[in-house]
Amino acid sequence: MRFSSFTYLVGQGLHNLRANRLMTFASMGVLTVCMLLIGAAYLLGVNIDAMVEYIGDQNETVVYMNLDATEDQIAAADSAIRSTAHVVGVTYVSPQEVLSIYSDMLADYIDLESAFSSDNPFYPNYRVVVDSPDNIPTVKQQLEQIDGVYRVNAPLDLSNIFVSLQRTISYACYAVVGVLAIVSIVVINNTIKITVFNRRKEIGIMKLVGATNGFIRFPFFVEGVTSGLISAAIASGVVCGAYYALCRWYAENPTTLSQMFGGQLVPLTEVWYYIVGGFALLGFVLCGIGTATSIRKHLNV
Amino acid sequence: MIDFEHVSKTYETHNDENVALEDINIHIDEGEFVFILGHSGAGKSTFLKLIQMEEKPTEGRVLINGQDLTKIKRRKVPYLRRQMGVVFQDFRLIPTMTVYENVAFAMRVTNISTKKIKARVPFALSLVGLEDKMDRLPDELSGGEQQRVAVARALAHGPKIIIADEPTGNIDPEMSLDIMQLFEAINKVNITVVVVTHEHELVNKLAAKYNNRVITLADGMVASDTAHPEVARRYAAKVAARSHDGYDDE
Ligand SMILES: Nc1ncnc2c1ncn2[C@@H]1O[C@H](COP(=O)(O)OP(=O)(O)OP(=O)(O)O)[C@@H](O)[C@H]1O
Ligand SMILES: [Mg+2]
Repeated sequence: MRFSSFTYLVGQGLHNLRANRLMTFASMGVLTVCMLLIGAAYLLGVNIDAMVEYIGDQNETVVYMNLDATEDQIAAADSAIRSTAHVVGVTYVSPQEVLSIYSDMLADYIDLESAFSSDNPFYPNYRVVVDSPDNIPTVKQQLEQIDGVYRVNAPLDLSNIFVSLQRTISYACYAVVGVLAIVSIVVINNTIKITVFNRRKEIGIMKLVGATNGFIRFPFFVEGVTSGLISAAIASGVVCGAYYALCRWYAENPTTLSQMFGGQLVPLTEVWYYIVGGFALLGFVLCGIGTATSIRKHLNV
Repeated sequence: MIDFEHVSKTYETHNDENVALEDINIHIDEGEFVFILGHSGAGKSTFLKLIQMEEKPTEGRVLINGQDLTKIKRRKVPYLRRQMGVVFQDFRLIPTMTVYENVAFAMRVTNISTKKIKARVPFALSLVGLEDKMDRLPDELSGGEQQRVAVARALAHGPKIIIADEPTGNIDPEMSLDIMQLFEAINKVNITVVVVTHEHELVNKLAAKYNNRVITLADGMVASDTAHPEVARRYAAKVAARSHDGYDDE
């Protein structure tokens, strides 16, 4: 194709877009709404992931050693814990340290330090950080086998809940994206079909004077894809703007619950390019498919 | 250049079958000028539609440059059509495009450069006397003017074959003569021209002057062909045979 033909056909596509603006407007509206929902689903998923990860990082599995564990046993346990797979952090807390933590907390009421100076009731323990909540159950089992270990306390329940929540939400998000993608294709397909139907006579004439199918299809393609990209631009603006505001509001209004999850959402600077790029791709691909499947019928002249 | 071999065309309508052409055998050479005459419903437009692949023959085959149109790949059809310039009986102008754009579009389709298009569209329109109405829409023109736009469009991209279905049907006699003489002039540079018309007098005058071939169709058959005088005898025999079989009205 000549460059001049290319620019002519692009021009025709844009011209048609303007000429059919009412219908284009309607289909772009639907497409934009679909993208907004997809964007919301995506951001929800991203934040749940981040929260689960945060909780995982915060959760400490506590390994209590026997009260009568010897220094050798404690040192041996230290290296055994460190060599366990999936363990990423180990901190030793001696009975003395536990005592001083509690006596500081209760300093106003009682002098714990002197009360237990000769007979410390606290267990020596290790605070262990596991790489992912998924791995806590296996790590717990392995830690329980170590010589001199009295008990292992793992925050299993909480992490289990979050992992399953995360899975459910991401499946729900996939489903939403899938359904909305199909809806978008159908809407674009129908819009272009109506345009093609309105112009079937013209298309017939074009074919009779020797136009190839590609030549006739191209402007429709430009029309469909352009409206897809415009929808993507609008949706990107709205989603990014709203999310930015939400992030600020969330950080400025801390609650106990939000503190538990780290007190902030995934910042816009880390996700905006996925949103903009994703919408653009989505607009291009969905409208491309929608257009390609709608023109065939009237080209057989 | 154009060959019809035992071509029949039957249209299927919702309640019945309509025989438009019956066992047509015609050979048109490159550079020939052929008038097709015949009464209304004789099958003239059908004959042209088979050439431009708007319709397919029910039987027999049509060849252009030795290429069998019944076997041609769909992909190649546009390229074959570009070798033709067609004036449709019902004009077929694109209503949303101006006169200029209508003519330009047919050229653009054939990959002609914008520079050439800009030069040739006004020239083609001036040949049919419409250079001052380039920016009008087809609806803003008279029937005869629309027909002349169709003529300009058929010529503009420099086709090898011109096919015109009643190109002067809506035009006054003087202008008709001009358009026909335009076709005659184009024919001089070895372009094949096939013109369907019902204007017997004009045909008689021009055919005598320019030595054009005249084919007459009647009831879907070739009734006479000045290039092959014996076909008239064959046609008469066929019609006679029919009436003996009781098919004919008489
Ligand atoms: N699309 C169609 N469907 C059914 N029958 C048709 C169709 N087109 C033409 N016919 C029939 O075929 C026959 C030949 O038609 P055609 O259009 O070729 O005639 P014509 O010689 O061009 O007539 P005119 O001078 O009136 O234009 C006619 O009887 C007509 O009714
Ligand atoms: Mg006709």
